[in-house]
Amino acid sequence: MWRFVAGKSAQYLLVLALTVALNFMLPRMMPGSPMVFLAGEDVGFLTQEQRAQLYALHGLDQPRWKQFVTYAANLARGQLGYSFQRGRPIAAMIGERLPWTFLLVGLGLVLATIIGVALGALAAWRRGSAVDLGTLGVAMLFESVPSFWLGMVLIAVFAAGLGWLPIFGAGTAGVSLHGWANLVDRARHLVLPLSTLVLITIPGVFLIMRYSMLSVLGEGYIATARAKGVAEAVVLRRHAVRNALLPVATVSMLNLGFIVGGATVIETVFSYPGIGRLLYEAVLNRDYPVIQGTFLIITVSVIAANLLCDLLYPLIDPRVRHA
Amino acid sequence: MTTASLAIPLLRPRRRFRLGTVGWAGVALLVALTATAALAPSLSPYNPEDTVADPFQSPSRAHPLGTNDIGQDILSELIYGARISLTVGFLAAAMAVGIGTLVGIAAGYLGGWVDTVLMRAVDLVLVIPFLPLMILLAAYLGPSFWNIIIVIGLLVWARPSRVIRAQVLSVKCLDYVEAALALGSPARRIMVRHILPAVLPLALAQFILAASSAILIEAALSFLGLGDPTAKSWGSVLYYAQVRNAFLSGAWVWWVVPPGLLITATTLAFAFTGYSLEEVLNPTVRGRRHAAAR
Repeated sequence: MWRFVAGKSAQYLLVLALTVALNFMLPRMMPGSPMVFLAGEDVGFLTQEQRAQLYALHGLDQPRWKQFVTYAANLARGQLGYSFQRGRPIAAMIGERLPWTFLLVGLGLVLATIIGVALGALAAWRRGSAVDLGTLGVAMLFESVPSFWLGMVLIAVFAAGLGWLPIFGAGTAGVSLHGWANLVDRARHLVLPLSTLVLITIPGVFLIMRYSMLSVLGEGYIATARAKGVAEAVVLRRHAVRNALLPVATVSMLNLGFIVGGATVIETVFSYPGIGRLLYEAVLNRDYPVIQGTFLIITVSVIAANLLCDLLYPLIDPRVRHA
Repeated sequence: MTTASLAIPLLRPRRRFRLGTVGWAGVALLVALTATAALAPSLSPYNPEDTVADPFQSPSRAHPLGTNDIGQDILSELIYGARISLTVGFLAAAMAVGIGTLVGIAAGYLGGWVDTVLMRAVDLVLVIPFLPLMILLAAYLGPSFWNIIIVIGLLVWARPSRVIRAQVLSVKCLDYVEAALALGSPARRIMVRHILPAVLPLALAQFILAASSAILIEAALSFLGLGDPTAKSWGSVLYYAQVRNAFLSGAWVWWVVPPGLLITATTLAFAFTGYSLEEVLNPTVRGRRHAAAR
């Protein structure tokens, strides 16, 4: 098992190294001066002196490998640079946003997995029935729906139209709420973005669970269990679902990157103050250092979550433990 | 990779070619959409670039879907949008599956360290959060039609290459490949003459599935303002609808809903066709289905 984790860790380290290298190379590979990407589009108005200063700050006068060492050393100290739009340290900007994204993605993942697994198991158990075909059709439909559009429609119907829920943000602006009232306010703001994320994430879980259940139900031990008179509900719960869950865990892990991407777009639609929204704002402002910092942190989070899943995997699959 | 070379193995199928109702529904929808895109100039009532009426008009006889923020006819925008969405979808998918087929054949046939290196690369690409990377690349490369295609193509090849590698592994053991090997054909010739034709039908299915995700990704990038600013795609129509807060007024019914439904329908059409083709062409998928049905 430790060999498995070590192999995976090496792979993640490589992803991390590639991400850092990409971030380092991109501004320096683009046509024209890298200054535009490191210092902002106002670079044309700078005096010769200021230019020289900026050049020295980023070490652009040094050989490239030395620039990279400086860059990597800064990263290792958690130094992501400064936003040239706002002059603020990027690490702090990201730190403010990260909890919101963790809340949205974390809750979304848990809810989507529970609902997707339950529906998938049910559909496979009632294979070919109206329930199965109906859920299958709806799942394929929601897999093809653009997330941002679903968000816009939900806003139009439930927020702007019916007025049940707030339209944007993570809390009511301009009022300070405390305790219970604050919690309710946050929750109300979370409902629509979370529903959007859950609705577009369920189909992936559902399709894998249904498929996995179907192959498990064809196994000999299911027939054995039934033959020896085990109650259907017990066969479903203990024999079928438990074994069908394994591929779901693997695929959910693989899909994490996609879900985070989906959250990026959803946060944008709802002006939800997460890291995806920060990425979007940075793109609008052509704030390249922030774009890079955000991308790096998103990648690191996804890798960390993957590693965590790898470590937890042996708990649900004993075969890995003994391998 | 031309469509002609893709079509050849399909024209003389070994097995009977059954696509099923779902598959044919997908094909029919695709044909209809492609026809709309091709005939856009004669189908659309106005030039989508022209200001033809007052802005923010509700639907009327003259403008069935109303007008947008600068008085362009929304219906005409959507008809022309089919061109951009389908073109991006097809070209990006062609690129992705081109790379995927190359990687899949090389990894599957050559095996050894080539296989290890290529498949590790696939794993790496699959771990990286996809859309944020695209946003990063699109922001640097600048919004343009070709950049979008290249970015999508460069990032979608991983899944096709896995599927094709698996197929190559099973084709590799077939008698005619071993016969060619025994006759002393060089590896390159075997890959091009014997392996490639055997995986092309599967590559076609992967192509269609890749086009389905490419269309969704193009819509998302355009929606974020990272698409080609001069091209009218369904995603960019939604971008302007969002910027002008169309979803806060009654305008969402004719300005937001139709482009989204078109994106969904197109993605669904590709997915239906792709999955059905995959099921017909990929013996492993079919085999597993049958095992499950016991």
